[in-house]
Amino acid sequence: MRKEGWIVPYIRAHWGRCLLIIGLGSLALLFAAGLMFTSGLLISKSALRPENILMVYVPIVLVRTFGIGRAVLFYAERLAGHDTVLRIVSSMRERLYRILEPQALWIQSRFRAGDVLGVLSADIEHLQDVYLRTVFPGASALVMYAAAAAAVGRWDLRFALVLALYMFILVGILPWLSLMMTKAKTKLAKTQKAGMYRQLTDAVLGMGDWVISGREAQFLAAYEAKAGESARTDAKLRAWVRFRQLAAQCVVGLILLTVLVWAAGMHADGKLPAVLIAAFVLVVFPVTDALLPVSEAVEHLPRYRDSLRRLSDLEGEECSMNGHGKGQVSGNQAAAMAGGAVHIRVERAGFRYEGDSSWTLRDISLDIPQGKKVAIIGRSGAGKSTLLKLLEGALTPSEGEVTLNGVPAAAIGEHMPHIVSVLNQNPHLFDTSVANNIRLGSQDAGEEDIVRAARQVKLDRLIESLPDRYHTRMHETGQRFSGGERQRIALARIWLRNNPVVLLDEPTVGLDPRTENELIRILLDSLQGKSLIWVTHHLAGAEHMDEIVFMEDGRIVMRGSHAELMENEPRYRSLYQLDRPEALLIKAN
Amino acid sequence: MDKQLLGYKGIKPVFAVMLLLTVLQGVSILMMAKGLAEAVSALFAGAPLSGQTGRIAMFLGAFLIRHGLGLLQQKIGSAFADRTAADVRGRVLRKLFRLGPRFARTEGTGHLVTLALEGTEKFRKYLELILPRMAGMSIIPWLILAYVFFRDITSGVILLVSMPILIAFMILIGLAARKQAEKQMDTFRVLSNHFVDSLRGLETLKLLGQSREHGASVAKVSDRYRTATMRTLRVAFLSSFALDFFTMLSVAVVAVGLGLRLVNGQLELVTALTVLILAPEYFLPVRQVGTDFHATQDGKEAGAVMQSILDRPEGEPADSDGAPGPGADWRWSPFSRLTLSGVTVQHQAEAYGSAPETVGAERGREAGADRPADGRIDGAGQEQGQGQNPQSPQNPRSLDDASFEVQGMPTIGIIGASGAGKSTLIDVLGGFLAPDAGEICLNGTPVGSLAGEAWRSQITYIPQHPYLFSCSLLDNIRFYSPEASREEAQQAVEAAGLAGLVRSLPRGLDEPIGEGGRQLSGGQAQRVALARAFLSDRPIILLDEPTAHLDIETEYELKQTMLRLFRGKLVFLATHRLHWMPDMDRVLVMDQGRIVEEGTHSGLLGKGGAYDALIRSQMEGVR
Repeated sequence: MRKEGWIVPYIRAHWGRCLLIIGLGSLALLFAAGLMFTSGLLISKSALRPENILMVYVPIVLVRTFGIGRAVLFYAERLAGHDTVLRIVSSMRERLYRILEPQALWIQSRFRAGDVLGVLSADIEHLQDVYLRTVFPGASALVMYAAAAAAVGRWDLRFALVLALYMFILVGILPWLSLMMTKAKTKLAKTQKAGMYRQLTDAVLGMGDWVISGREAQFLAAYEAKAGESARTDAKLRAWVRFRQLAAQCVVGLILLTVLVWAAGMHADGKLPAVLIAAFVLVVFPVTDALLPVSEAVEHLPRYRDSLRRLSDLEGEECSMNGHGKGQVSGNQAAAMAGGAVHIRVERAGFRYEGDSSWTLRDISLDIPQGKKVAIIGRSGAGKSTLLKLLEGALTPSEGEVTLNGVPAAAIGEHMPHIVSVLNQNPHLFDTSVANNIRLGSQDAGEEDIVRAARQVKLDRLIESLPDRYHTRMHETGQRFSGGERQRIALARIWLRNNPVVLLDEPTVGLDPRTENELIRILLDSLQGKSLIWVTHHLAGAEHMDEIVFMEDGRIVMRGSHAELMENEPRYRSLYQLDRPEALLIKAN
Repeated sequence: MDKQLLGYKGIKPVFAVMLLLTVLQGVSILMMAKGLAEAVSALFAGAPLSGQTGRIAMFLGAFLIRHGLGLLQQKIGSAFADRTAADVRGRVLRKLFRLGPRFARTEGTGHLVTLALEGTEKFRKYLELILPRMAGMSIIPWLILAYVFFRDITSGVILLVSMPILIAFMILIGLAARKQAEKQMDTFRVLSNHFVDSLRGLETLKLLGQSREHGASVAKVSDRYRTATMRTLRVAFLSSFALDFFTMLSVAVVAVGLGLRLVNGQLELVTALTVLILAPEYFLPVRQVGTDFHATQDGKEAGAVMQSILDRPEGEPADSDGAPGPGADWRWSPFSRLTLSGVTVQHQAEAYGSAPETVGAERGREAGADRPADGRIDGAGQEQGQGQNPQSPQNPRSLDDASFEVQGMPTIGIIGASGAGKSTLIDVLGGFLAPDAGEICLNGTPVGSLAGEAWRSQITYIPQHPYLFSCSLLDNIRFYSPEASREEAQQAVEAAGLAGLVRSLPRGLDEPIGEGGRQLSGGQAQRVALARAFLSDRPIILLDEPTAHLDIETEYELKQTMLRLFRGKLVFLATHRLHWMPDMDRVLVMDQGRIVEEGTHSGLLGKGGAYDALIRSQMEGVR
């Protein structure tokens, strides 16, 4: 796929608005210059003591127009700029969403560390500044530059060239120099900041360890040293900025001097009326003021690079992973499956990642007719998640078969959510009303259905006690709902969805035994008749499962019903003793 | 003005120098205007350029001096800001360590890290800006105004009158904008969070088969956000519009007035030119204050937040100095005694306290993993959550009248349902929390809390999610005893059952782990913590729910390793997993902050007391 940039296409798409903004911006700058120019002209003309006030009438009107117009234009430019940028952000967001959407099922495993999604979203916000601080003001300043040179060119072409050269120091040479000078330091500053961030996160999250090990003084000293280094880098950057500003002002002084000498010379030669001397000198101030910010605009550029890189990296990998790809199964076929019984068969399935020599999963066989309940137990890395991915059709088995009513799981593709529901460890509750969160299970559910779903998961009482009941926003309740309650809301969605198969991916991790038991009971009650495939870490509820499967290193090492395993497997018995308080009682008796 | 500002060390001489430089700057602006105006008007009158060298030189000299002084001013301000911000940051960090991990959990890790990094940055910016701006505002306009009055009274009056009008309008519009923004705040929050919310919930949407349709709503909501933002911006930008408008208008009025009086012959050109050059300079300081308003405001707020942390009472005496307790070379021995009598801790609202069922699962999560991106929203949400938690225990004491005595090296199990006060007790034992009432004695000597160096150097603390630092596995294991040799660490690795993992790592013990390094599973992380404990070999071990989140097989294996570690050590193990209890020498049963039963597992079993009730409550449910 052709990679598209994250800046240019948007300027192209909004070129009309961008032109308008740059037009307004340069006009505002021209008006500021016009104000000083006509002011100078006005007082010079007045100093000639014309007989009639009407002789200076035009400059008077112009002075007022420019004075008021500049403020209005500037205001309009800012509004138009922000409006356009927000439009651009809107389309960037949609684009980012569309990029991430197909890989949704892999986001968890790909972006394990930190809050990458938050960072990506912040990156887009960050790119606003490319337009607001670099593109628009830069372009306006360049227009001003051209206009100033052209205006002088009307009087004296050679001098216009000289002046253009001087001004080029401000809009070209200094910015370029600035970019070269600060590029490395900006990068260094960023690395140092990232280092500090990591160190500080280590300190705050591992504070107990620092304090108890008595090493806090050591940490503080190390951190102060790092912070000092970073501060020195920043100070160097700032010193450069100060120097650059002074250098730019020197150029401004030089331009003033040149203009003054030129005007005097032109006047002496009779080529320039005396009234224009003051006007030309005064206009230098607003014109150079307009050109000075270019350096700063350019200096900002390296800061966007990381944001841009993260976003374009994302697109590069777009095709390597797919979630529910295009299935070969038609909607009708899927609907038929969703309505009826689903028989899942896993036959000698194995999986290994492309180019990987070792098998993540090998020789797995499961037979799950409609309504069967299977528990899958194993430590992390045993292959449980991979097995779930095979069942979801998100991965295609490298050998063997995973079929639903004879149809390969991977072929069901995008229709999978109509057949299989998934309850995982951290179901997301959206920042909308409680009712809308439950309604996600089935968009055409009415109020009554939602109340029934809440009753199913025994949340009706709690929800009724909320200030706006079912219309209370999650944001206000997010703090209130405990882990178990959040799971139950997610379960209400699944109940509403009413799919024949439900995959449970460790939904009870982190809950205390009482809540865990409660949730399991609600799960079993509300999902009666569904096929359950339950990845779990505890044996709570194991008695209610038709089959318990132990996995290790990608293989099934032990399987059977609870009764069978208790009977035949000493290992299972010792694990069960660990897990169930009943065992403690038995042991004591 | 900010009263706090004058309290910073060394600010007075810095500000004095700043004022002096500003006066000089003001004078050079006047000279610059004078030189330029005289030169131009002389040229206008037909004098030759060669006669103007002196005036032009004066102008150029003044111009350069003015900007040179500006550079000097910035440099001084910047250095002062660097110093002060670094000082405040250092104090905040030290304070954080004294407030301890419990405070960090309450405040939220992400929030604190952001504050210490970006907050300091903003605060620095504020300090850097505020001094020159204050000096500029208090000198330059008035100096120019006085000079203009001296040269031309009418123009002086125009300038004088326009300044209060300008400021009044700016304030009025600013207030209106804030009101409008506040009115829309809720809508704003929802709309601006919608995108991050959608991304975080993408997997859920996908599993529900609605991710594709949701894409359209991302664009739609984003657009609504734009409309709402523009509505606010239209008002907000008015304030800088007013600034611009009145400045420009004032300059225009001055210019026209000058022109008219020139026509009437009431004025010289040179005066008019001087005033015209000075008019924009008169407004420049106000404009700068306006431009930097948001930066200074942000920085001021950040400074206030840091100050509020510094002002927070510590609640526990500073490390051992002052508090009577054993000396630094003291060591917990089989004859040592720890006595708690009537120890009580008032309930403190905690960020995760509203979810009593999650058993501290939130602890140790990566910074901000579950939080909105914006730190400020984060903070507000937590405050809200604390106030309106209907499930918080009726009992305001998270530890109520706890009394017990331990001598020597027994293993002690602390058992109870979530919210029973197990973690609070562990926090008291770890010295992270000072009791609000009651007494703690070491060998019969009362100590205010267990935050003292002597006690802390005796304990190892293993939480549910041990934190792995971003460094090598070796350094993680050596965290408590950095001086340990590689061989000793290797032995700890063997003892903790990590040898297999180390062999499988391409760089062995030197493999980087933690954030940015190799990810370890929960069981492996727990084993790293055990290796630390084996290596440091401290006589006291505190464990807070070390295995509940692990899969049963890992838990089983870890238990065997842990029991080996416990030999010959004083162990406090807080858990709701009953299977530990038969292996403990003593069991403390907790309920609603109280120690309700005490004894051995077999002694308590079948007594019909709290212990039996606890077992029964865990059994019911799935039945």
